[in-house]
Amino acid sequence: MVMAIESSRFGHVEIDPETVIEFPDGLIGLGGRRFALVATDTGGPIVWLHCIDDPTLSLPVTDPHRFFSGYRVELTDEDAERLGVDESAPVDVFVTVVAGSQPSDFTANQKAPILIRDGRGHQVINQAPGCDFRAPLFAEVQAGLGGGAPLFAEVQAGLGGGEDPAEC
Amino acid sequence: MLNITRRRGERIVFGDDIFVSVLEVSGQTVRLGIDAPRSVRIYREEIWLAVKRENEAAAGAAGADMPAALRTAVADLRRTAVSDPGTSPAPGINPATPRS
Repeated sequence: MVMAIESSRFGHVEIDPETVIEFPDGLIGLGGRRFALVATDTGGPIVWLHCIDDPTLSLPVTDPHRFFSGYRVELTDEDAERLGVDESAPVDVFVTVVAGSQPSDFTANQKAPILIRDGRGHQVINQAPGCDFRAPLFAEVQAGLGGGAPLFAEVQAGLGGGEDPAEC
Repeated sequence: MLNITRRRGERIVFGDDIFVSVLEVSGQTVRLGIDAPRSVRIYREEIWLAVKRENEAAAGAAGADMPAALRTAVADLRRTAVSDPGTSPAPGINPATPRS
């Protein structure tokens, strides 16, 4: 059986019930209980955490390890116990992304990653030092390209001539 | 708002299972101890507020154009071969794909 969301952002989206992620506590300050990861760009680093119960609620998320070298998540003992995670359990880590009008304005929230394991998700406060609520998403990528000017220009040009979002 | 005066060592109870103790009072600083069930999430307000703001910003930023903007930015990133095109963002997760 297939579930469907009439997404305000993407239109009709079909969800495999097996991929539904339960967030017992919702997202911090936002709520929501059942989400699914939706990709507009298969294999790309950005996926959308889409609420199933609220078709207007979706957030772009990404694997922070692709953008921030050395990124790690440290939990308080209370959180680790609450989530039932330990060092050996594989957990998928995502961070929320805030899109901007240009690439340098894109940020990711390193401080409140979303941990997903066995179909359950939790947004937690990362205790690791040096984490930022608004870490520039492309900072390392651009630095790695000798200042990132070519990439920056390309992305900026791309933003101006973006595809029709209705075709997602 | 309910106002309660407490001394060091005294507690407040929320419902039947959340206890907040005043551990120490020193100048402008109050140190609290919180004893609550594991299911209760506890945050410093400024942290909770900052995360709430970022979540709302992520959910609402750039309106309807955001997917296109993100896709373009991400496509450009991939062209520069910075990210590995062969790996999915999260092994073990199968993102559903919107119908075109």
